Amino acid sequence: MSDVGGKELRIIGFLCNWCSYGGADAAGVGRFSQPTDLRIIRMPCTGRVDPLFVLKALVSGADGVLVSGCHPRDCHYSEGNYYARRRLEVLKRLLPMLGIHEDRFHYTWVSASEGARWQQVVTRFTERIHELGPMDSLDPELAVCAIRELGGENGQADQPAPASGE
Amino acid sequence: MMASLFIVSKDIPQWLAAMAKTRKVFATQRESGAIIFKPYDPGREVVFERESVTSCKEAVFPQTKVLFSYFVKKNPETGETAGVAIEESLNKPAPQAVVFGTRPCGTKGFLTFDRVFDCDRIRDPYYTSLRERTAFITLACDRPGATCFCHWVGGAPDDPKGSDALLTPVEGGFLVEAVTEKGEELVNEARSLFAEADEKRREEGAAVRDKAKGMLTPKPDLTDIGPALEKRFRDLDFWEDMTAACVSCNMCTYLCPTCYCFNITDESDGQAGVRLRTWDACMSQQYSLEASGHNPRPTRAHRMRNRVNHKFWYHPKEYGGVISCCGCGRCVKHCPGSVDIRRILLTALERKDEDAE
Amino acid sequence: MSQLTELKEAIRKALPDLDLVLGWREGYDALHAPPYHIRRQEDLEHLVFGPMCVNNLASQLMHLRGKKVGIIVKGCDARSVVELLQEKIVNRESLVIFAMPCKGVLDVKKIRRALDIDHAREVHFHNGTIEITSGDKTSSVELKDVLADKCLRCHYPNATEYDHFIGEPVEPRVSAEEAAADPAMEELAGMDLTERFAFWKTHMNRCLRCYACRNSCPLCFCRDVCLADSRDPHWQSQETSVREKWMFQMIHAMHLAGRCTQCGECERACPVGIPILLLKKHLNAVVKDLFNYEAGIDPTATPPLFTFKVEEENIKEIEL
Repeated sequence: MSDVGGKELRIIGFLCNWCSYGGADAAGVGRFSQPTDLRIIRMPCTGRVDPLFVLKALVSGADGVLVSGCHPRDCHYSEGNYYARRRLEVLKRLLPMLGIHEDRFHYTWVSASEGARWQQVVTRFTERIHELGPMDSLDPELAVCAIRELGGENGQADQPAPASGE
Repeated sequence: MMASLFIVSKDIPQWLAAMAKTRKVFATQRESGAIIFKPYDPGREVVFERESVTSCKEAVFPQTKVLFSYFVKKNPETGETAGVAIEESLNKPAPQAVVFGTRPCGTKGFLTFDRVFDCDRIRDPYYTSLRERTAFITLACDRPGATCFCHWVGGAPDDPKGSDALLTPVEGGFLVEAVTEKGEELVNEARSLFAEADEKRREEGAAVRDKAKGMLTPKPDLTDIGPALEKRFRDLDFWEDMTAACVSCNMCTYLCPTCYCFNITDESDGQAGVRLRTWDACMSQQYSLEASGHNPRPTRAHRMRNRVNHKFWYHPKEYGGVISCCGCGRCVKHCPGSVDIRRILLTALERKDEDAE
Repeated sequence: MSQLTELKEAIRKALPDLDLVLGWREGYDALHAPPYHIRRQEDLEHLVFGPMCVNNLASQLMHLRGKKVGIIVKGCDARSVVELLQEKIVNRESLVIFAMPCKGVLDVKKIRRALDIDHAREVHFHNGTIEITSGDKTSSVELKDVLADKCLRCHYPNATEYDHFIGEPVEPRVSAEEAAADPAMEELAGMDLTERFAFWKTHMNRCLRCYACRNSCPLCFCRDVCLADSRDPHWQSQETSVREKWMFQMIHAMHLAGRCTQCGECERACPVGIPILLLKKHLNAVVKDLFNYEAGIDPTATPPLFTFKVEEENIKEIEL
C-alpha cells in the first residue's frame, strides 16, 4: 500500500550517485516519511541517463519516471547535468506527442544535503502519478506476460507483476 | 474441381461472416493506404482490388511464434532455483483458419514452405499444425502489374495450385471454383449465397483469365539460371553493382511469401520467459554474424548474392529443380531502393558464358 | 545545354579522380529511378535526373567511407550531407558534391492512388502536370497532387553545400512560415492524449520490424550495430509486439533529435504507411523552440544535444 493511498504504482527513479542518491539517503537517516512507490536506480551522473531509459521504463510498465541529479554548476563531473538538462527537456516535450502525459516524467536537482527537499520531490511526484493513475496497457497479449500465470499456479504469486500492465 | 458457381460482390461479406463463425479468417484490409492481411472484422471493409503489401505468410508462419513458455521457480527461503515449469504451445489447440483474397502467387508460397517444413526428413509440428488447419481462398489476377513475374517461375495469374478455392472476378461478382474438399466445404457452408454460373459467366471468366495472361510480358528461359549464378558467384563487382540501391533492410524477406528463415531466442523477464521463433532475414548483417565476430557475408553484395542464389540455385538444387520464388514482385514493388530481382537474373543470364576474373 | 547534359559533363570531368559517383538510373518503369554507382564513363549513359529521383543518396555515404566519392544531391539531400560533415562521419576532402536545383519529387504511393496504372511506360512533365503512359492509355494528374509531402513545404530546394551547382537555383515553393504549417502535424496536435496513444498503437501494430525506416535514414549510420538488434544489453525482445515496435520508433526519433533534416526517407520506405516522420517533425520543432536550431544548414555548427549552455534561455529552471 502506498503512503499516498490506494494501490502502489510503479515509479522508477534514476538518481545521481553524487547528490540525489545521497539526498535520498539523508531523507531516510532524517526519518522523513516518504511514499514507497519509487524504485531507485543509482547512476554515476545524470549525464549517464539516456532519455531512452525513461522511455523504455514507460513502455515496459512504469507509471512514472523521476530523474534527479546535482544542481546546475554542482555536477561532480562539471558538466554532465548540463547535457542531461537539454536531453531531458527534449524528452519531456516528446511525451505528449506519443500520447503519454508529460507529468509521468519529471527531472529535478537535489543535493546530498537536501533530505527535506528530496522528501518533497518524491511526495509531490508520487502524488501526481497517483492522480494520473496507472499507464494504459500497451500489449495485453504480450507472450512474456502470459507466462506469469504459470508462476502463479506454482505458488509464486508474490512475483513482480507483468511487465506491461495487467 | 466442382462446377463453377457465382457470388455477387455484395455477398462476399456475408460469406466471410459465415466462415468467421467457426474459424479464424484473415482478409485483406486497407490501413493508412496499405492493403494488409488482418484478422477479419465485420466492421471493416475487405479490400482486394490490388495485391496486398504483406503476404499471407503470417497466417501459417507467424512473425512471432511462442514455442514454449517457462517459469524458473525459486525457493523463497534460499533464493535457489527449485525447478522450471514449462508450458508447450503445441498443447493449445489452434482454431481452423481461412485466408481470403490472397493471389495465386502468394498462396503458392506455401508449397515452398511445405517442401522445407513438411518433408521426408522433417515434419515441423509448429508449422504443420497451422498449415493443416488453414484453407486458402485465392483470387485470380485480372491484370498483372509492372512488378509481377509469376510466369517466369512456373506460375500463372489463375494458377490454382495450393488453393482450396479460386475466385475469378467477373462483372458484378466472382466465379467460384472449389479446388479441394476443404474449399468445397467452405462454399457449401454458405451455399445459399452462391448461384450456378451459367455458360455466359463461365465464358466471361475464361476471357478475364486469358486477358490477364495476355498482358504478361515475354518471359525469359530460366533453365540455366543456376549455372549462370554459379558463374557469377565470385564476381563481387557484379553483386555490388546489383545492390547499389539496397539499404540492407529486411523488407524484401518479410514481405516474401516464400522466405522461411527464422530465428529462435529466449526472451526472459525476471523468472518468466518464452522461447520464440521469429522471422529472420538474410539481408540483415546479424543473420550471418558469428559469435567470434567474423561475418562471412559482410556486405549487402554478399547478402543479396545469398538471397538470389538461394531462391534460384541452392533451393532448386536441393528440392528437385523447383525455384523458391513465386514471382509476386513484392520485393521489387516495395523496396525503398527499387532493387529489381528480375534485372539481377537477366544480367546473370546475359553473362552466363563469361567467367569471373 | 540541358541540365542533365551539364551534370554528365561535370561528372565526366571529375570521375578520373573519384572511386565512384552516386546517382540515379532508369528503373523497371518510368516512375522509379533506383540509386546506382557510376564508376566508368560508360556508366553515365544510364544517369537520369528528375522528379522520380526520390532516394536520398546520402544514406550510402557511411558505407563508402574511405573512398573518394561523388554524390548528386537535391536541396534536401544536401542537408543530410551537411549533417554528416558536422558529425565528421564523412570527410569533406573526399567528397565531391554535384548540386541539382529541385522542384520536388514524386510520391509513387500517391500516384498509385490517383491513377489506375499498371505499368508506367513513359512519363512526361509539362506545365505542372505529369502525364503517364501505361499500356495504350495515357492519363495525367496535377503534379502538386502527387509530389511528396515534404516537397509541398520545401524551403530548401537548392543545396547549401556543393562543389558544382548545375543550372540555376530555383525559388522555394513556400516561405519558411508556410513550410512550418503541416496538416498532418496539426491533426496529431488536435488529438487528446488518449487519442494519440491509440493512434500510435494502431499504426505500430502494423509495423513489420523490417527496419527499412532505419536503413533508409541517412543519419542512422549505426545500422549494423544498432541497439535494437543488441542482445547484450537486451534493449529489445524479438517479439513482434507493439511495445517493441513502438520502442524502436522512440529510439529512432530520440537518436535523431536535433540531427534529423526531415528528408522523409523513413516514412517513404515504410511498406505499411506508418507516419513515423511525425515524431521527428515534432522533435525538430521542439529543438527549434528550445535551441533555435535547424539541422543540416551550417557544416560548422554543433548539433544542440552535443553541447550545452550554463544558462539556458529557453529551459525553465526547476523549482521542485
